[in-house]
Formats: sequence, C-alpha cells, structure tokens
Amino acid sequence: MASAPQPQAHRIEPARRGATRPRFSAAYAFLLPTLLILGFFSLYPIGYSAVLSLYDWNWGARMNFVGLRNYVNLLSGSEFWQILGQTFYFAGGAVIIEMTLGLGLALIVHQLGFGANIIRTLLLTPLMVSGIVVALIWKVMLDPMLGIVNYFLGLAGLPPSPFLGSQATAMNTIIAIDAWWQTSFVFIILLAGLQSLPAEPHEAATVDGANSWQTFWFVTLPLLRPVLFTVLIFRTIDTLKVFDIVFGTTGGGPRLATEVIQTMTYRTAFSYLQMSQAMTIMVIFSVIIVLISLIYLKLESQGEASGRGKVTT
Amino acid sequence: MRTLGNVSRGIFTYGVALLAVLVTLFPIVWLLNVAVRPQREVFKLPPDLSAPLILRHFQAVWANEGFRESFINSVWVTSIGVALALAIAIPAAYGLSRFRISTKAVIGVWLLLVYMLPEFLFILPIYALYQVLGLYDTHVGLALIYQVHSVPFAIWLMRSFFRDVPGELDDSARIDGCSYFGTLWRIYIPVTAPGIAATAILTAIWIWNELTIALALTFSKAHTITVGVSSFRGYAAMRWGEMAAASIVAILPMLLFALIAQKYIVKGLTLGSVKG
Repeated sequence: MASAPQPQAHRIEPARRGATRPRFSAAYAFLLPTLLILGFFSLYPIGYSAVLSLYDWNWGARMNFVGLRNYVNLLSGSEFWQILGQTFYFAGGAVIIEMTLGLGLALIVHQLGFGANIIRTLLLTPLMVSGIVVALIWKVMLDPMLGIVNYFLGLAGLPPSPFLGSQATAMNTIIAIDAWWQTSFVFIILLAGLQSLPAEPHEAATVDGANSWQTFWFVTLPLLRPVLFTVLIFRTIDTLKVFDIVFGTTGGGPRLATEVIQTMTYRTAFSYLQMSQAMTIMVIFSVIIVLISLIYLKLESQGEASGRGKVTT
Repeated sequence: MRTLGNVSRGIFTYGVALLAVLVTLFPIVWLLNVAVRPQREVFKLPPDLSAPLILRHFQAVWANEGFRESFINSVWVTSIGVALALAIAIPAAYGLSRFRISTKAVIGVWLLLVYMLPEFLFILPIYALYQVLGLYDTHVGLALIYQVHSVPFAIWLMRSFFRDVPGELDDSARIDGCSYFGTLWRIYIPVTAPGIAATAILTAIWIWNELTIALALTFSKAHTITVGVSSFRGYAAMRWGEMAAASIVAILPMLLFALIAQKYIVKGLTLGSVKG
C-alpha cells in the first residue's frame, strides 16, 4: 500500500470551471472554516500573550506597562532555568526509553506469526487511558509503604524505593510512568513502518550473507529513518509539554524536584495569580517549541532531498 | 542445528512479547482489583486474592453528583468537539489534497506549529476572553478551544485518506456535472468512511482524555471526567477504592471503544505518520 504510486494531487483543474474566477477560489472556500477558527484561536492567544507579558497584570484592575521586566526577572532567576532543565531532562529520558523499547517491541512483534494481532491490540491499551488516570494508577502502585511495586522489589530481594516521595527518585519515576504510557505510540507506528518496508533489500542482504544484526543496522534502520524521525519529533514535543502525569502524581514536588514548565505556568497563573509572569513563561517556551519544530522540518526536508525519505512516501 | 536455533529464537520472541503484554496490562488489572476489594484488604501485602468482591466503591462514586455530572459533560464536550473537528477539517483536507494552491506549504507548517504549541499559551488568553464572552465553563467553549489541537490532527489524517481516492472517480463526477462540494459529499466522504471513522475515534479519545485545558477552562458546570477524576487525587492517601473506581469509570468508555474499533484506531494512528 505505502509504496503504491500516489494519485496526482492536482488532478482537478479548477481553472476549467470558469475562466473569470481565480484558480484557487474554490480551494479557499473549503479552507475558510479552518482559516477562521484556527486563525482566531492561534493568532489571538499568541498576540495577547506577547503583549500582556509586557505588563504587570495579576487578574485585577492593575495593568501597567513594564517593558521587558517580566523577562528579565524570569531569566535572571535560577528557578526558571532549573525547571527548564528538568523539563528537558524528563523529555530526553522519556524519549530515549520510549524510542528504544518501542523499536525493540516493534521488531519483535513484526516477527510473530500466531497471535501477533491480539498482542498488538493488548499493547495499545495504555494509549486509551487518560494521563490523570495513569498518574493515579501509579500513585497507588508506587506507594512507598503499601504499594505493590515495593512488595515485588522485596520479593526479588531488592531494597524498597521511595519512588515519587523523594527528590532523588521522583523525576526518574515519572519518566518510567511516561514510558509505560507512551511506548505503545512509538511501537504501533514503527510496527506499521516495518510492515510497509519493501522485502527486496532484506532478501538481497541475506543473499549477500549479512547476519541479522547487519541487516537490521544497514538495511532496516536506514529504511525506517523517516518514520523514526516523525515519531521522534512527536514524542519530543509531547514530552516537553508534559502536564497530566506530573500534576496527578507529585504536583511538581517534592520541593520542585519534578516541576516542569507547564506545571510551573499553572502554578504561576492560578495559584500565585501572576498572569503576566505566566504568559512570559509561555512566550519563551513557545519560541523554544517552534524552533525545535522548525529544525525538525528542515532536517526532514533534507532527508527527503537526499533520497532516503523516498521509501515510505 | 538450524531448526533448534529457530525454535529457541521463537521462544525468545514470544517470551518478550508476553512479558511486554504483562507489564502493559498489570497496572490496569491492579486498578480494577483495588476498585472491587474492601478498603482494608487492598492494603494487605501479599495481596489476598480471596478477599470478597464488592461494588461499594462504584456505588459511592456514582452517587457523587459532581462526578456523575462530569461524565455527562464529557459526553457532551466530546460529541460537540468531534462534530466540529470533522465539519471543519474534512473540507479543508479536500481543499488541500485536490487543489494546487500556492500557500499549501505555509498552511501545512502553520497547522503543525499550532498543533505543537503548549496548551497554556492558549489557555491563559482564552481564559480571560471566555470570562468576557460567557464561554467560560461551557461545553461549547471547551469544544471550541479543543479545535486548536483536533483540526490540524484531523486535516492531517483526512489528507492521507483523500490521497488514496483514485483520480478517475472525481474526474467522472466532474464530467457528470458535480460541483466541487458535490464531489466531496457524494464521492469522497462515502469512499473514505472508514478513514473518517478512524479520525472521529482518535479525536474522541483525545478530547475524552484531555485534562490540562479542561482543568483551566471549566469549573462547576462543564467540568469533564478527567477533572472529576483529578479531584480524587487527595484520596490517594487512603481512600484508594473510590479513587480506583472513579478511574475505571473514566477509562471504561475508551477501552470499550478501543476493543470495538481497534482496526480503525490502528489505521488512523499509523497512516498519517507512515505514509507521510
């Protein structure tokens, strides 16, 4: 399916319909609802946040222009940098684990014959569970005193862990929770990617005497590269924006050890009522997200230009 | 030797796959176990699997009016949100996949960026705006802001489904005098019905499970199931039974959904990214 030739996207020639109309008018009629609703719901918040981040608004009547003071306060303090660092630590850890486990599982399930479908379905279950429920499940299972996980550790002769209760272990615990939740996403997409790969390169490699490790490294992995890349960027952005599982497990504690940018923004806006300060955080964070996304798009188009992205498109 | 190697390799792959299934399912099974056991039995380690099964926690949760309302609210918000997303995204996907327009690349990048931007960038200004417009804490207000995420996602999926429609089909529709809209309505939508189902299901799952935006933009009238469940966070200290029962009620609709429609879910999840 995936390697079938694509129908031409421009099969209809809109100009044929009426020479007096501009060629694109019909297309924009179909796009109008999207342009209106996304235009409003994206440009208005971006503009509003950018402007209000230059004021000292705290929900009340006070609204004085303060220039870049919010930015200076935020960037000169240590708390923002600590939390930004923790956010990237979380994202980096979760993405590496999820990509590795997801790829491994996809390679394994790809080899299965009997029962592959049912196993795939069961492995998808975590994706149907909301983040807040994931958080509560693990809060119960990882309870330092009464949780089942410490009981299992004890059976295996390992010492109990405080998990979410200690500054030293809390962030790594949330990374593990995210890995339980989202490895399925990486798995299902890489599995579909593997199933859409052409058979010939693998057969040729086997004929040439390559062992299975060499085939994986020199044939499968390069062919899978575009799909890997897509999954990577979605997991990277998604983990940078983490909120639910932090909010549901630790709420950012103990002592800010698991605070991430979005929980920090929530606290700043709705607990401290510092609206302008919260918008300042979001403006800076959005710039970071947009930069990462644009770098990805650039790398992706370079990959396609060099021909390596051709296989699955 | 060769067959022996194949057999041990088979045992290894099935062993790893089954271990993965076990690790994946155990937490959900354990949640159910906590929900159906009396409170003090749950705290016993090793777990006593002969403890009586009870529905008391489910009854207590469902008797909680706020929680019951949150379930109904989520049904409303999800229905409105999915309907809006399909109504907005299907024509847009058609416009983008069947016409040659100069701004296609720009629109594509813009959709991706809107999808990528963090929730609170939208939440804070929209919170202020909704207070003024009276949309704060309403089903429609929440369903509207969800379009920021759902519309780019749905356009993306529907574009790849529309790309598979053979060009001859709509050429002949055009020759028969169908308007562009008629072609979309009579050819594209029926032909891609499974794709539309996949898009609707994945959008519904996302909206049903969304917490961040709902937490900030609803309070007492439109609070969704995820907000309802999050109010049980404090119960984690002791009242595990009710917390677990609430969690089960919150995820059951989507788990059933997944069971019935897993073919569509897999199709939708994989198509957009694999076919690019």
